[in-house]
Amino acid sequence: MIAIEKFTLDNGLRVLVHTDSSTPIVSFNMLYNVGSRDEEPDKTGFAHLFEHLMFGGSVNIPSFDEPLERVGAENNAFTSNDITNYYITVPKPNIETAFWMESDRMLSLAFSKKSLDTQKKVVVEEFNQRYLNQPYGDVWLLLRPLAYKHHPYQWPTIGKSVDHIKDATLDYVKEFFFKHYAPNNAILCVAGPVSKEEIYQLSNKWFGPIERRDVIPRNLPKEPTQTEPRRLEVVRDVPYDAIYKAFHMCNRNHPDFHTYDLMSDLLSNGRSARLFQRLVKELGLFSDVNAFITGDIDEGLFVITGRLVKGVTFEEGEAAINEELNLLASEPLSDYELDKVKNKFESNFTFGETSPLDKAMNLCFFELISKAEDINQEVPKYLSVSAQRVIEVANELFRPENSSTLLIKAKN
Amino acid sequence: MLNRKTPPIQAHNGHIEVKKAQELILPNGIKLLTINAGTQEVSRTEFIFNAGTRFQKKVLTSRGAITMLTEGTATLSSMQIAEQFDFYGSYVEQSADRDFGGLTLFSLNKFLPQSLDLVEKVLKTPTYPEKEIQTYRVKGKQTLQVELGKVSTLVRQKFFDTIFGANHPYGEFASPEDYDKVEQADLLDFQQKHISSSNCTIILAGKISNNEVALIERLFGQENWGKPHQTDFSLPSMPQTFEQKHWVEKADAVQSAIRVGRRMFPRTHPDFPGMAVLNTILGGYFGSRLMKNLREDKGYTYGVSSGLAPLRESGFWVTGAEVGAEFTLPALEQIYLEINRLRTEPIPSEELSLVRNYLLGEALRTFDGPFATAETITSLFEYNDLDYSFLHNMLDTIHNITSKDLMELANKYLKPADLIECVAGSVSNM
Repeated sequence: MIAIEKFTLDNGLRVLVHTDSSTPIVSFNMLYNVGSRDEEPDKTGFAHLFEHLMFGGSVNIPSFDEPLERVGAENNAFTSNDITNYYITVPKPNIETAFWMESDRMLSLAFSKKSLDTQKKVVVEEFNQRYLNQPYGDVWLLLRPLAYKHHPYQWPTIGKSVDHIKDATLDYVKEFFFKHYAPNNAILCVAGPVSKEEIYQLSNKWFGPIERRDVIPRNLPKEPTQTEPRRLEVVRDVPYDAIYKAFHMCNRNHPDFHTYDLMSDLLSNGRSARLFQRLVKELGLFSDVNAFITGDIDEGLFVITGRLVKGVTFEEGEAAINEELNLLASEPLSDYELDKVKNKFESNFTFGETSPLDKAMNLCFFELISKAEDINQEVPKYLSVSAQRVIEVANELFRPENSSTLLIKAKN
Repeated sequence: MLNRKTPPIQAHNGHIEVKKAQELILPNGIKLLTINAGTQEVSRTEFIFNAGTRFQKKVLTSRGAITMLTEGTATLSSMQIAEQFDFYGSYVEQSADRDFGGLTLFSLNKFLPQSLDLVEKVLKTPTYPEKEIQTYRVKGKQTLQVELGKVSTLVRQKFFDTIFGANHPYGEFASPEDYDKVEQADLLDFQQKHISSSNCTIILAGKISNNEVALIERLFGQENWGKPHQTDFSLPSMPQTFEQKHWVEKADAVQSAIRVGRRMFPRTHPDFPGMAVLNTILGGYFGSRLMKNLREDKGYTYGVSSGLAPLRESGFWVTGAEVGAEFTLPALEQIYLEINRLRTEPIPSEELSLVRNYLLGEALRTFDGPFATAETITSLFEYNDLDYSFLHNMLDTIHNITSKDLMELANKYLKPADLIECVAGSVSNM
């Protein structure tokens, strides 16, 4: 049970406090309710580029990192399709430095031309490093637009192409900031050896004076139901053929979400999981195989990936994957197997609770999608998944007309 | 009106307490180190053996023997082992590095007895079934082929091969073909020689009581198991002269991977703490000189860093980055420029005080919680023979080292003539 206290400032900033006195370090996590799904189709990758600019100095403080390093803090950030998340871990006595820094960049940025120019280049190199300069790096650039035709999940967080990043202007940076970065569009969680009273006082002092901003409610195109199988085959300079299959699944708040997640665990979490045991060890068709859900807030994807053993054809590999999926949709799970994945989930969750930073991030996320307290309902929700529901959901999910299949063919 | 220009008053972060592990010698001589901390009912149990690649006679024997410990025992198949660990929600991680090899179990305390029972079987009676070895060959070979498609892998291999020698276990790498030559007899021989009670240290961390300690003692600490370990393993000599510049061609690479560095010393060397501070200034944290210059000023790269890493009987210092192919030469020029500045310009006191504070914050984090503490104790055991004075020296150095000391160290260890440069990339894209 994770203890949570919370309050909302007059400007709309929601603040969560989790007291954990077992550590000398405070985790300070700020979630902004903006991600790559909020980008315009001709300006993709911008939310992530913007995240870089948040480190380029704010209105009153020229450098973001230095003052934090000076008090022994660490900080970083990540952007996803749904959110942009900034975090600081700071030794308790210097917690106010985190409030000072984080509130100043919520107030306003320096909007420096030099920072924009440099970070565009840095992000282009990030694009190169992660997506272009390694085998199978461009998979998500291909799979997303295959699976999504309308919803902005059709592009990855890094963006559709480096050109969108190169074209970013300082005017648009400003526009984006005031559109999405606002106290009433953010959630702060402070976890560690702290009390609600001191966090309340510090939050009011540093974030209280920032004015509420007009945040236009999100209105994203819904992805229409897919009606026929989609396939794409490309040739790449990679050592082995690979298969990627994506199926449309429910959104994060749907009651079946936990069933989907456990299904991906059944298929590939741990060495005893079905796909690894069958396709890698028993049949020797794949060198590597995986199943996971994207976990997005809007309707996400259930993804299967596998690298074929040399000499195995796409047809053989795909048939073997489909057979495993059909099995999940037709044969009831044994109590034993269901208990196994549930135990595994519970263990994962308990280990996650050993990290105050993970707790702070998760609390912000739950507050965003429903309410922070729901984090304590997660284990019971997973434990209540039934064998019957797994069959029903698998039948709905693994229909050919719900699938997008990407085949990467090795050049040589 | 709130003054947002001036930082809140900096507070002292408090005394860093070096947490020691409790030491216990079990009846069969195994050293058990315990760290009782944390709030969750979980634990981490690490079994460390002198069983790294330096002890193998053939490439991949150490890694193969340790990775495949869980692939079958006298009474359990690979599948049964995997099933049971998964059923209890436990995780086992095997690792085989250059000096050490071993296994770490993460488990809920309520399932620790069952999980440790399994660990006992996999450590004491692994069988390495031929069928599982065949899977390992195919999977290992393909995974390596994928890795070899990355400039970062190519440059790393070239760098270690250069500073330690291709035939020295510290510089040796497996080729894809080596996976075909993994044989059961070699694995069994290695396991019997090295996975034994006379060669084992156990580190137990988490919310633990006498029960957990008694359990470890019962399963691992009574009788001797495995063969008595031989200790007279000597290493071949390392190269004394080096070709300074190396290029590994990777056609069409849009980025080049760069490594500039040298062979260094073990962590017991008196200059290690000082070099660790110097390294932080150059490339050891986000605000480092290399990051400021190559990333935040010039945008050549997504990330650049430098590191000082110990080995049992040597060590290395290296700076590395993946940079846009067209920036290869300018990036190298800036790396050398930053190294040379350390040798010619005193570190400004502002910068030095920032780095001191940053490192003290890091030191605090190394003892934050049972698992972080366990990792600190593991590395202290592996590289300093559990000599806690290393940690005190490190803290003293962070507090007291001067600009003058740092400049002397830079001139002693970072002379251009002593540095090796390796680049993997595409000449035509440069």
